Amino acid sequence: MGGGGTQATPAPVLLVDDEPAIRTICRVNLEGDGLPVLEARDGAEALAEVRRQRPSLVLLDVMMPGVDGWNVAEQLAADAHTRDIPVVFLSARAAPEDRLRAQELGAVGYVVKPFDPLELAGTIRNVLERVARGEREQLNRDLSSEG
Amino acid sequence: MTDRTAVVALEGAAERLQRPGKRTAFAGFVAVAGPGAVTLLAFGKPHEALPALLYVLVVLFATSLGGRGPGLVAAAASIVPFYYFFLVPHHTWTLKSEGAVGLAVFVLTGVLGGEVLARQRGARTRAEEEASSRMQALDTALRLHLVADALVSAQTPQEVLNAVLVEGVHAADARGGLIATLSADGEWLDVIASRGYDARYIDPFRRFPVAGDYPLSEAVRTGEGVFVGSVAERDRRYPELVGHSQPGHGLVCLPLIGLHGPIGGLVFSFSTDEEFPPERRALKLALARQAALALERVRISVAEQALRERLSFLGEATAVLTSSLEVEQTLQRLTELAVPQLADWCAISMLEESGEIEQRVVAHQDPERKRWAETMRSHSRTIHIDDEFDLTARVIRTAEPIFLREVPQELLDEAARRDPNAAEALREVSIRSAITVPLRSGEQTFGALTLVSESRELEDTDFDLAQELGARAAIAVENARLYREAERRAEAALALAYVVDGVVLLDQDGRVRFWNAAVAAITGIREAEALGRQPIEVLPAWGELVRLAELADADAPQRARSVTVPIETAAGDRWVAVTGVAFDEGVVYALRDVTDEQELERARSDFVATASHELRTPLAAVYGAARTLRRTDIELPAEQQEAFLDIIVSETERLTAIVSQILLAGQLGEGRVDVDTTATDLRPLVDSVLASTRLRTPAHIELRVEQNGDRPVALADEDKLRQVLVNLLDNAIKYSPDGGEVAVELAGGAGRVRLTVRDQGLGVPAGEQERIFEKFYRLDPALTRGVGGSGLGLFISRELVTRMGGSLTVRSRPGEGAAFVVDLPAA
Repeated sequence: MGGGGTQATPAPVLLVDDEPAIRTICRVNLEGDGLPVLEARDGAEALAEVRRQRPSLVLLDVMMPGVDGWNVAEQLAADAHTRDIPVVFLSARAAPEDRLRAQELGAVGYVVKPFDPLELAGTIRNVLERVARGEREQLNRDLSSEG
Repeated sequence: MTDRTAVVALEGAAERLQRPGKRTAFAGFVAVAGPGAVTLLAFGKPHEALPALLYVLVVLFATSLGGRGPGLVAAAASIVPFYYFFLVPHHTWTLKSEGAVGLAVFVLTGVLGGEVLARQRGARTRAEEEASSRMQALDTALRLHLVADALVSAQTPQEVLNAVLVEGVHAADARGGLIATLSADGEWLDVIASRGYDARYIDPFRRFPVAGDYPLSEAVRTGEGVFVGSVAERDRRYPELVGHSQPGHGLVCLPLIGLHGPIGGLVFSFSTDEEFPPERRALKLALARQAALALERVRISVAEQALRERLSFLGEATAVLTSSLEVEQTLQRLTELAVPQLADWCAISMLEESGEIEQRVVAHQDPERKRWAETMRSHSRTIHIDDEFDLTARVIRTAEPIFLREVPQELLDEAARRDPNAAEALREVSIRSAITVPLRSGEQTFGALTLVSESRELEDTDFDLAQELGARAAIAVENARLYREAERRAEAALALAYVVDGVVLLDQDGRVRFWNAAVAAITGIREAEALGRQPIEVLPAWGELVRLAELADADAPQRARSVTVPIETAAGDRWVAVTGVAFDEGVVYALRDVTDEQELERARSDFVATASHELRTPLAAVYGAARTLRRTDIELPAEQQEAFLDIIVSETERLTAIVSQILLAGQLGEGRVDVDTTATDLRPLVDSVLASTRLRTPAHIELRVEQNGDRPVALADEDKLRQVLVNLLDNAIKYSPDGGEVAVELAGGAGRVRLTVRDQGLGVPAGEQERIFEKFYRLDPALTRGVGGSGLGLFISRELVTRMGGSLTVRSRPGEGAAFVVDLPAA
């Protein structure tokens, strides 16, 4: 269930993307900003990781071989243990229907590639704070209005 | 032809009558020989008998000359000198008894002889008289026969008249004759032919009243012949004629009685006073009867002939009218037919939509005149249907024909006054009679036919014929119009049958009136099923179609906007573009199956999405790497920095490749790609490509090359082939997510070189094995397998290989991998 104290090291962010370059970029930047990171190469790995060590947030790519990002989000939402874990999509898919789908799956964020890796940590921290404040619903609703 | 047998018989009989009979000769002989013999016997001695013989001869001579009377006188008168000189030898008057007896016998003989001769003479005279009267009867019969013959063979009224006036006059022994016919109203007798009369006397009597006091009038009135034997009698009976008629003598006026009553009269004039015994009257009356019948007969025959000609003309006209469906041509031929048979000029005018009347065709026997008329027409003022004066306009307006037996001069003058052209025309052409008939179809009058006669007066028969002609011409024109319309409709139907767009016509009740072949193909509903029903009954998707389609108005059909609607049909799910136009009698819809275009459109937008997506990921890597490198707050170890730089480089390369593919696909589509083929050794090419590919190959994929057969030297464009090989290898790797072997096999032989890229990955389902070579087509279009790619690789590869003169095909079973085979000509 969530991280410990405010500035205490929060639970790691689970980074899911099949592109090694993206994983590297994200990890370097997040860790550089003080956020611990766990990596998964595809959906199956991601789900296994989640069970192994509950992350504070899942940064989820969509286009992956085998179990794709949508699938992962579905499964997380279906499981009572993992339902509360906030999911932020990180995707090259930029169409409105993709955002809508993300919204339906209960996501709290949608980052479109290419993205500025320097802002990634900030975005994630923001999301975590607001979730902690109970603004999860709002975040979810905001998905459809961002564009 | 004269009946020669009757004539010959008659002439033979006449001839026989004129030959003296044998009986007469015999009688004469007896008359002479008889008394002569007796005298000889009585007197014995020849020299004494001689005077007695002389005496007998004298008596006989006298009797034969004059008859009984003179014979007796001669007998008596001759006794004295005879007695004195011959009977008594001494010239005394003494009479002896034997002398007296001799004398008495002698006288008796003479008298008897004379009597016999007288009888004979009497008989001969009677015979002659009889013969003469029989001759006369035969002659009459012959003459009558000749007249009858001539009358029977007469074919024309003129021939009848000739027969009567030549043969008839001769038969009647007349000097001259004339024939008059009764007028239609029965009031007048018109002399139509005469012969042997002086013009001075005939002319004033060309026409005289039946009621008048004239011998012929009387004959016609009473129906009985009038026989006037002399001028005196005539003057007495008909005081009117005194001083007016030709001095003549006998006159016979006979009525000509046809089958239904008097038709005229016949007159014979004689140069002497005549008696008209019954047999003469009978002959003349018989003549008149025959003449009347003959006249009637030929009149009927002439009328029949005229009728036949009329029918024949109409027949010809109908043939002309039905021979062609070209209106102009037909009308032209019709006018040519009417001229000169019916009239001198024939013209046909038509009513145009504007209300103007246009003369379409004009005909005259003389082509010069015809041309002249045509030129005149082009200069004439236009006639409008409301024109009060123009006859053609009036006929068309009222649909009533006009028949001017004699065109009044005022009419012509007025026409000349109104139009100088007409004035000029009228100076060239004289117009005596005119007929104009309307040309009608149903209730509508669409034109007029005009006949003009320059010199002859047109008659009722011409009028009837003109109307017949007009009626038939109208039918012909109507037929031509209907045919043209039918043709147009047939053409329209043909167009609609073959047009690719579907056309549906609904009536005011929304029922299908027309459902062409194309819409049947689009919807899978046949015409027979749809006709007469509401379209929604046969095609549930129709509701969707029309709900979205906006109906344009009939006045501005081009404003109809098409709406593309997905519908479910018996033929599957289709995208249909529909436009509709509403008009008075219903609605017409045009449908087009745009499924293919739609798919293309979708493929294109998919492509755009895919392309942009494909570009985004390497961009994200390049951008992310660059941004990270520039962070001053994080200390990046050197390898890390190197790694990021590598990312930038390789991702940029990836970007470039994708962009190039997109461009190349475009250029291939526009035919702007050239292929240079040279002899290329494929082995080194394959080796070098594999080497660089290995760098990108994930660990679970093993690359290998295999070579069989001859050295694989192909006629190929090395650069392009390299691209193809890279593409095939990338695909093989991409579609082997669970790893496996990717093998490149080279084989050569029989003038071809084969390069096969074989993998053990996902494979390609049979139904998609052709489609994967289509532009933008990707296996698993949902793109959720993360295999990436632009969908252009195989399209480009096949295009390039084909341009090199080779082929690119695939063999695969789902789950068992795929083998892509490049077949090239050997160098």
